[in-house]
Amino acid sequence: MNDPGPLPALDLGSYSAVCAVIDGCLTCGDVAVPVTVVEAGEPDAICADAHGTRGSVGVELVMPVQEGERLLVHGGVAISRLEESIDEVR
Amino acid sequence: MKFVDEYRDADLARTLGTQIASLADAQRHYKIMEVCGGHTHTIYKHGIEAHLPDNVELVHGPGCPVCVIPMGRVDDGIAIAKRPGVIFTCFGDMMRVPGGDGSLLDAKAEGADVRFVYSPLDALKIARENPDREVVFYAIGFETTAPSTALTLMRAKAEDIRNFSVMCNHVTIVPPLKALLESPDLRLDAFIGPGHVSTVVGCRPYEFIPADYGQPVVVAGFEPLDLLQSIYMIMRQLDEGRSEVENQYGRVVFYDGNTRALEILSEVFTLRPHFEWRGLGFISQSALGLSDDFAEWDAELRYDVPGVRVADPKACQCGEVLKGVIKPWECKVFGTACTPETPIGTCMVSSEGACAAYYNFGRFAKSTARAGA
Repeated sequence: MNDPGPLPALDLGSYSAVCAVIDGCLTCGDVAVPVTVVEAGEPDAICADAHGTRGSVGVELVMPVQEGERLLVHGGVAISRLEESIDEVR
Repeated sequence: MKFVDEYRDADLARTLGTQIASLADAQRHYKIMEVCGGHTHTIYKHGIEAHLPDNVELVHGPGCPVCVIPMGRVDDGIAIAKRPGVIFTCFGDMMRVPGGDGSLLDAKAEGADVRFVYSPLDALKIARENPDREVVFYAIGFETTAPSTALTLMRAKAEDIRNFSVMCNHVTIVPPLKALLESPDLRLDAFIGPGHVSTVVGCRPYEFIPADYGQPVVVAGFEPLDLLQSIYMIMRQLDEGRSEVENQYGRVVFYDGNTRALEILSEVFTLRPHFEWRGLGFISQSALGLSDDFAEWDAELRYDVPGVRVADPKACQCGEVLKGVIKPWECKVFGTACTPETPIGTCMVSSEGACAAYYNFGRFAKSTARAGA
């Protein structure tokens, strides 16, 4: 697991402004954001995405969560755990 | 970037393209529908079709939740947004969807307090911070998004936040698939199943497609290699004469879905008897309304809305695009009167809409193909 380290405390809400014009709709479509838990908590945990953007995520649907776990977030709520492996496509 | 580059490896993509071509019968034309707007976006953005033989055609389905909202429901939202004291919240893409008389963005320009949010939880936060205002969240989306609305309503109820309500437009994925399978306009060979909807509902709801219609379904992820591998898995089923539900997106999707999310959905929502889908018409039991336990947070019960059905503009062929009957560029107004800057139809509004995805990423390739034809 990569340590996210000291990262900018941006709000995941910035996705809304970006998604409509650049990279798919991360808010309302069938698209979700992979994140890493950096501060475990219930019902919200602080998570960071691949760019280091941090935000509060509702984790009721995947509780309990621990630091370092990978989650899939949609609309501010974690809908699944993420178990990545490139082996699937090889 | 870890777990991004790996799913975009060009050599693996070429290998999968070759394997797909080797399974395609030259005497046959294959039509595979990707149900989900996110898949449509990936297909155009990454040029997936360039890796496929000419006789394997991808057909774009009704899986963009913005595109399927009928104009009358937009007008209902605008009517609430224009009420004094209301803070109206919605997802970003919804702002530009044209109703019968303008969009939410137009209403905002005219003075309505319309704000876009990333999460319904953000809308609830606005309600907490503005106890003297009425905050309404315009909920759209499939089963992927419905859990976030459900959790928000449960928190509103637990905290007894009464100045918050939801106008619910959540829809479900299986009824439109049935409608498409029964449609005489369309002959399909297989489906690429929606990835993130399936994290919630699992794979079981699609079992009727192979059982009743004899067509394969492969639930797929959203990276280019995910899609190519899913198409390969479909072609292998067709080649071997099988039709099953398979899960390519195993790193996220479990066969039974997220049972906790399904429990919450059944607690907060109830199936509407019928709901209008843009382009598909009224489909019974295809959308969610708030259950009686959450009626106090139901914006449609709290406010009078016009509730008038508004016909699509005559020039707009979104309905045929949503059903996969025509390709985006075959619409009469595509790229001329209807562009992402000045959309006539919903398919051009959302970045997941087939028309916007094609306009942004595919039109140059298509014009090149046309010039060379």
